[in-house]
Amino acid sequence: MRHGRYPFILSFLALPVGLYAWLVILPFAQAFQISLTDWSGSSNNFDYIGFDNYLNLFKDERFVLPALRHTGIILLVMPVITIVLGLFFAFMLNLGGRSRQGRIEGVRGSKFHKVVYFFPQVLSVAIVGILWKQVYAPEGFGGLITGALGAVGLPAPVNGFLADKRFVLAAVIGVLVWSAVGFYLVFFSSAMASIPRDLYEAAIIDGAGRFQTFFKITLPLLWDSVQTAWIYLSIVALDVFVLVYLMTPEQGGPDAASEVVGGVIWKYAFKNAEQAFASAIGVVLFFAALTLAVVSLRFGRREQIEF
Amino acid sequence: MRNSNQPLFNRRNLFGATAAGLAASSLAACATSGGDDDAEEVTVGDDAENPFGVDGSAPLDVVIFDGGFGEEYAKAHQEIYNRAFPDAAITHLATQAIAETQQPRFAEGKPTDVLDNSGAQQIPMDSLVSDGELAELTPLLDAPSYDDPEVTVRETLRDGVLSMGTFNGEVYALNYVFSAWTVWYDAKLFRDQGWTPPTTWEEMLALCPTIQEAGIAPWTYAGQHPVYLYDLLLILAGKHGGVEVVKAIDHLEPDAWRNPSVVKAAEALAALYTEGYILEGTPGIDHIQSQTAFNERKAAFLPCGSWLPNEQAAIAPADFEYMPMGVPAFEGSAQPGLISAGGEEPFVVPKNATNLAGAYEYLRIMLSKEGAQIFGDTVQAATVVKDVPLDNPAAQATDALVSNPEDLFQPRFRFWYTKMSDEVKPALGALLSGESTAAEFIDRMQAVADETAADDTVEKFTHED
Repeated sequence: MRHGRYPFILSFLALPVGLYAWLVILPFAQAFQISLTDWSGSSNNFDYIGFDNYLNLFKDERFVLPALRHTGIILLVMPVITIVLGLFFAFMLNLGGRSRQGRIEGVRGSKFHKVVYFFPQVLSVAIVGILWKQVYAPEGFGGLITGALGAVGLPAPVNGFLADKRFVLAAVIGVLVWSAVGFYLVFFSSAMASIPRDLYEAAIIDGAGRFQTFFKITLPLLWDSVQTAWIYLSIVALDVFVLVYLMTPEQGGPDAASEVVGGVIWKYAFKNAEQAFASAIGVVLFFAALTLAVVSLRFGRREQIEF
Repeated sequence: MRNSNQPLFNRRNLFGATAAGLAASSLAACATSGGDDDAEEVTVGDDAENPFGVDGSAPLDVVIFDGGFGEEYAKAHQEIYNRAFPDAAITHLATQAIAETQQPRFAEGKPTDVLDNSGAQQIPMDSLVSDGELAELTPLLDAPSYDDPEVTVRETLRDGVLSMGTFNGEVYALNYVFSAWTVWYDAKLFRDQGWTPPTTWEEMLALCPTIQEAGIAPWTYAGQHPVYLYDLLLILAGKHGGVEVVKAIDHLEPDAWRNPSVVKAAEALAALYTEGYILEGTPGIDHIQSQTAFNERKAAFLPCGSWLPNEQAAIAPADFEYMPMGVPAFEGSAQPGLISAGGEEPFVVPKNATNLAGAYEYLRIMLSKEGAQIFGDTVQAATVVKDVPLDNPAAQATDALVSNPEDLFQPRFRFWYTKMSDEVKPALGALLSGESTAAEFIDRMQAVADETAADDTVEKFTHED
């Protein structure tokens, strides 16, 4: 019967592998091919121009370089803030309360908080974008934050946060964190639930405070989850296109101050009719993401702890 | 493209996220396989009823930009087409996503027959033209008009409306809607307050403190879309120094931006901000918010196109009287009547269209008296066809502003050179929000103009006259 096994396996694999090759691998391969041409996207004529697109890409001070910088900043900042806040809230909601009769619990109303924090996750990104556009608006036009700052006598950007070069990128990162934190709170909560309580009880008996229990017990035992969260958030950070498109002026901020790589690809592909150039940026992003994934998987590895 | 950032990722999504180019490249899947380029040409025959020799049974494919003008007028035009050719099946698509839906069809070599290439998602005209994807429209213009075989289609059009669709002497787009860029004010507000609408920039500046005393900001505009200031600046400069000044900018002439008239205009706009004559928060609002503020009489002047009153008809207060004035000229201006007016809403016929003759015929129907009247009646906006009466005061007042053909001019560089368009918008935004000085603005624009002029890969265009 042995000789019949491979055709049998292959017959199962043919369809998924074929679909994967057709819908994923082939378009990628074509992006590489197109990036070597001068194709506009709205014609079937094009010439091969070698690596010119790649050379020009790193000279593009208008869009590409700012976008690479901004995506880099988001990649560094957003996951850190989200994970720190997610861990903090999860810890507070699960273990941060007073211990009553030796039992460790979260702060009062933790179940309610969990649901509330999760709300942004339920909203679609489009709604989140439109909502926050209004929240960040200038004071005279119903801006929530500018209005609140004005009410307590603090200075607020007169044109709102999104039209201000200094704040627009931070404003976008703020929305990303706001909408992601709830999910990671729940994610870390469930991971914390699997840490045996007796470890904490032992620590408390030994006189450990909240800080020590967090850094000596919770964090090390959650390391796998943190690493997973890191990778997921990095993926989100590489694609902030929708929020930037919906919220910021000219779909990239005043003077490209919130331009991100995804948005620049879209601009070149569909607004400026430079598909080949857009493909070249896509290829660069592809390698950047691949590197990121490999690095985080290699260096994030730690010993598994069994309990 | 992906439009959700749900966190339930798996490894495969990682690859998905690595390149938004995925979407672009999957569209391209058929593009790199090549196509044919043996497009046929349309000629004008002797039959005035059917000058292009339309095959009455051939289907017609029409794509309409579903924007401010909607799609009802197009459906009415299609009924006229079907009246002449009852057997023709018409495919009608109304969408805002012009580039997303139509670019792949161009790439595939199977474009639509008639394309209303408008809106924020339009396919850049410079790219379509330099790729040779569009049919030249001279046969249409030389054909007998729909209503009178003695008159050609060209003769039924207003002056200067073809220039927008003309690229190096060849007409590739029929800009169907006639519009002018002006500055709007509320005639009722001015009457009630006893203000005289200013005719010069200096009068306008003198009026500003009075306006402010009434608790109203003199100016507002769509700060998030500084393109609304493009015509204001260029026409102000063109009025002062004559149309040649702005033409030189379009022609990428050395130091065109350093012309004293352009510098003066940039300084004047920057001064609106420094003098505090702009509604607070304006740089942070979009066109809807600025128009709403204007409707609420929070600001006295708003620069916008001539479609504004119709668009706001149902929104503005009932007693609001939209009145256009040209950009107020500096005293001593060389050409104070200059106005940015002409065709907009470009209709194009792809060169590889399946039913090329039908497409020309469809455009001929749009330019008929009946076709233009349908458009005027449904959307209350003027078309490029002459002598189609509109019964609203704002449209009549706009008509008076554009009565002299010598004074009609559309600054074109932002349509010709994408890179300059990308630069002028943020530069104008910075100029009017106090982030840059007039000198910095001029330097910045001169730099991108020089860069464009020196770039051999960019096809250059010039004004005909």
